[in-house]
Amino acid sequence: MEPVNLFDLAMRQSQWLAVRQTAIAGNVANVNTPGYLARDVEPFEKVLDRTGTVPGSTQPGHMGFGATEASFRTQAQEYNGAILPSKNTVVIENELMKAGEVRRAFEMNTAIVRAFHGMLLSVSKG
Amino acid sequence: MDALTASLRIAASGLGAQSERLRVVSENLANAQSTGNFPGADPYRRKTVTFVSELDRISGGSLVDVSAIDRDPSAFRLEFEPGNIAADENGYVKLPNVNVLIEMADMTEANRSYEANLQVIRQARDLISMTIDLMRTS
Repeated sequence: MEPVNLFDLAMRQSQWLAVRQTAIAGNVANVNTPGYLARDVEPFEKVLDRTGTVPGSTQPGHMGFGATEASFRTQAQEYNGAILPSKNTVVIENELMKAGEVRRAFEMNTAIVRAFHGMLLSVSKG
Repeated sequence: MDALTASLRIAASGLGAQSERLRVVSENLANAQSTGNFPGADPYRRKTVTFVSELDRISGGSLVDVSAIDRDPSAFRLEFEPGNIAADENGYVKLPNVNVLIEMADMTEANRSYEANLQVIRQARDLISMTIDLMRTS
């Protein structure tokens, strides 16, 4: 039924982008917190390569990031810039760049879904 | 809670923390000249604000919160002004350890961080409305 399972893929990408947006929001909010390490979500290619060995949550206490079932792992980023006395590794310019990337990718994602949806509609309407 | 709502929540915590910081800065600036009211009294002591990152159980993200508002332990400025009510027996008045330049720099930084958090909120809202727009029949 799913044509080249595009909708599934688009849904996973938009989930991934939303989790990335959450990571960016956390970094920006903690831009002045001493000792905070900037975090980022694992690359989307890695998410695609991983084949279904995601630990499921069996109890309400188990935590996934952003409370989404698709658990995308976030980890502290490598940082090789100047270390500040506060040991904070957030670079606000990088975060805004990443936010721009997320926005572009999300726009593209929704545009593609809309285009395919239009195609399916035009087929089903005849 | 879905991830986009979570990022709204996180950015809102950032806004709260930065405005708290702005409040402390304005307190320091307002009291930059507040001396004591008896001879040899200690004047206003500068306040500092410290942030801490905390894991939010509901959204799974790292919120920011004000962990403590401390007093700056550095020494007071001394000025020779025998006519002042707070002057000690040698005629010196203790003035607050507030440096207006530092407070201004702090205020600018708080401003920038506040703007960055606002930008995150704006973007998260746009992403949500893009998703909702998918349901509109064009």
